[in-house]
Amino acid sequence: MFRNYLLTAWKVFMRRKLFTAINLLCIVLTLVVLMVIASLLETAFRPSGVEGKSERFLQVFMVRMESPGGNRVSNTPLGYKLIEKYLKPMPGVERVAAVTLPSSVSVYQGPNVSELKLRRADADYWKVLDFTLLAGRLPTAADDAAGRMIAVLNASSARRLFPGAPKAALGQRIDVGGQVFEVVGVVEDAMHLNAYADIWAPISTFASSDYRKELTGMFTALVLADSAADLPRIRDEVARISRSVVHDDPKAWKTMRFWADGKLDLFSRILTNSGETPDSGAGKVLATIAVAMLLFMLLPALNLVNLNTGRILERRSEIGVRKAFGATSRQLAVQFVVENVLLCLAGGLIALAATAGVLAWLESAGLIPYLRVDLNLAVFGWGMLIATVFGLLSGVLPAWKMSRLDPVHALKGAV
Amino acid sequence: MFRHLLKLTWKRKSRNLMLSLEILLAFAIVFAVAAFGLRYLQLYRMPLGFEGADVWSVAIQPGDNGKQRFDDAVYDSFRRGLAELPEVGGVAFTNIEPYSMSTMSGDMRRKAGSREVPTELAEADDKLAAVLGLNLVEGRWFSQLDNGSAQRPVVINRRMAEAMFPGERALGQLFIEGEGAAPAQAYRVVGVVDAYRAKGELAGPVNFAFMRLEAGKNDNDARIMLLKVRAGTARDFERRLNARLKLIRNDWSFQIAPLSSSRASMIRTQTVPLIVIGIIAGFMLLMVAFGLFGALWQNTTQRIPEIGLRRAIGAGAADIYRQIVAEQFMLSSIAIVFGLALLVQLPLTGAFGESLNWPVFLGAALLSMAVIYLLSLLCAVYPGWRASRLSPTEALHYE
Repeated sequence: MFRNYLLTAWKVFMRRKLFTAINLLCIVLTLVVLMVIASLLETAFRPSGVEGKSERFLQVFMVRMESPGGNRVSNTPLGYKLIEKYLKPMPGVERVAAVTLPSSVSVYQGPNVSELKLRRADADYWKVLDFTLLAGRLPTAADDAAGRMIAVLNASSARRLFPGAPKAALGQRIDVGGQVFEVVGVVEDAMHLNAYADIWAPISTFASSDYRKELTGMFTALVLADSAADLPRIRDEVARISRSVVHDDPKAWKTMRFWADGKLDLFSRILTNSGETPDSGAGKVLATIAVAMLLFMLLPALNLVNLNTGRILERRSEIGVRKAFGATSRQLAVQFVVENVLLCLAGGLIALAATAGVLAWLESAGLIPYLRVDLNLAVFGWGMLIATVFGLLSGVLPAWKMSRLDPVHALKGAV
Repeated sequence: MFRHLLKLTWKRKSRNLMLSLEILLAFAIVFAVAAFGLRYLQLYRMPLGFEGADVWSVAIQPGDNGKQRFDDAVYDSFRRGLAELPEVGGVAFTNIEPYSMSTMSGDMRRKAGSREVPTELAEADDKLAAVLGLNLVEGRWFSQLDNGSAQRPVVINRRMAEAMFPGERALGQLFIEGEGAAPAQAYRVVGVVDAYRAKGELAGPVNFAFMRLEAGKNDNDARIMLLKVRAGTARDFERRLNARLKLIRNDWSFQIAPLSSSRASMIRTQTVPLIVIGIIAGFMLLMVAFGLFGALWQNTTQRIPEIGLRRAIGAGAADIYRQIVAEQFMLSSIAIVFGLALLVQLPLTGAFGESLNWPVFLGAALLSMAVIYLLSLLCAVYPGWRASRLSPTEALHYE
């Protein structure tokens, strides 16, 4: 039965090659856009590459402070004191890392000025994230303690500053905004929320040690758990800690709230600006993305409906014969939807190949620096899911119309 | 002729409904991109209000999270220290430089209880007007004359003057921030600048007020230095500048950038959404073109007997051709009229405020109408031509 469907579908597709091609093209164009978005989201939120452990780490990104009257609210990144005094001693976690947000710095080399993104990180940061070391070594706790002026570059910046193999950069001195650092390591380029930077230095290389006394500043904390099962407990623990923190100036700021979030939660929390509740609004964000994708499919689906309606009328004699021999409307409708979904899946496969091309172009064009998207099985699954939804969306209406054709008229060729 | 066309279109209403719906959606998408683009063009042509060329910004980062307050001695040490560099023509302090991502804003009122005027604010010292080349149309910039003034002296842009004091001369007038009986702060207008759009060429105009920087009296330090440098100063000056700044304060760090580079990155962030939407819309239109072409082709194929009949009773090839194109034209017109009826609600209700004003709406409507008509005519040309070439005998026998 199913084989017959396939055969008929094949015959129909080959009969009108131009229309099959137009149909396919429309499907491919739509699916490429959706698949590029899906694979970017997949890379951003699935544990992969340098953030391969992200399924078992949480991060504290923002502190929300409220004034006693509740009329003033401030959202800022964390200060080092908050991490060192309150988060690092937390029991039952593997480690807690502190790292600053990337900030622009100028690197001076003779007459050349390069603008790079600098992060200052403690030794734990290198253990939480899985950077691929190309040459040299990564900073250790001993470097932090001694306040050594060392730096790690990523491969692109190393090549830009010191042309040649990554090894060429090792041992070189660079002037970063007036401070001189020795390059001790070169790591692979990485584009991830917590990894994105060109150059890294230990936290203790700050020109003044005032950062140690601040509850708010420009740090973010990464909390690595022993296993993913520990995460809910850590979330509660961090929420409990946040209630116990008192601001240095309690008259100005009464409450300080912060939450440990996974990546999706963090993104949703920033997007929906929900700093006061444990719920990050991730559900809402996901639903919005799904609805936006469906809306995006609306025009292409309508387009396909129009094309398909025309094709059905061409096939009315076939439909008349099948109806005369006892096929029910439902069977015909199912057959048509199956045909359409098949076409969409075929389009999906082509789109997947095209998506790989588009992503390769995106990576090389440098629109998003250091982007590396791998098309894995999950993206393939998402792509096929999107294709099926699209096939159903665009196939149901023509199928319903087709099944309503009157067999007598259909056989005669009149509509 | 027209009535015939209407009749023919009505006979195939369910099919035509779907086609019009598709054209309607395509119209809406083209309209969105056109409106977005035209608004940017309109903004780009508005006066910016300052000269960003050969101005460098230096962000002073004491690493104290804003706790320490700068006093006059700090400002003076930088002013004196940098004046010695031959490249530097002028030094000014502010807390929010042009093309920066941050904003500071407040709700201003003429007096307690009156209408609020949302205003963006920045602290500015006495030299800022010279460094940024601000164009004063009324009054004067801040100077020593303002020392010890009871209210904080401000210079506002013309847009704010019109919003706060409609039909009156703004110079010398007072306004307050906040509401209630005891407002926190009173301001006195000492000057009006022509325009000031700190977020750059592609940002919408806002009400803007500069407040005079007086160390110790301000809520915010002015931690951004703006330097007017000699024309043609190369980027390698940055290193010497940084060394000089370190001489003045060794334990602080400084982030130096020419305004031209912040401008480039600002414009990039503002145009990326337009480019992405434009590319996606382009793909969508391509798809719609293919779809319309296919649908029309099938349409004419189905109507071959009808066309044959018309030919048999005397219609020429050109008549058939005209019929097909006119039908498509009518379908597009119906879709566009409905689309316009829906879209006109946006400027009427003010859903997008000033961004979708009438010139933008009309321009975008005309542009998208042109695109959609062109698209549907292009799609109709080949199927129409094919239909018109059929010989009447063949067409009548077509099965």
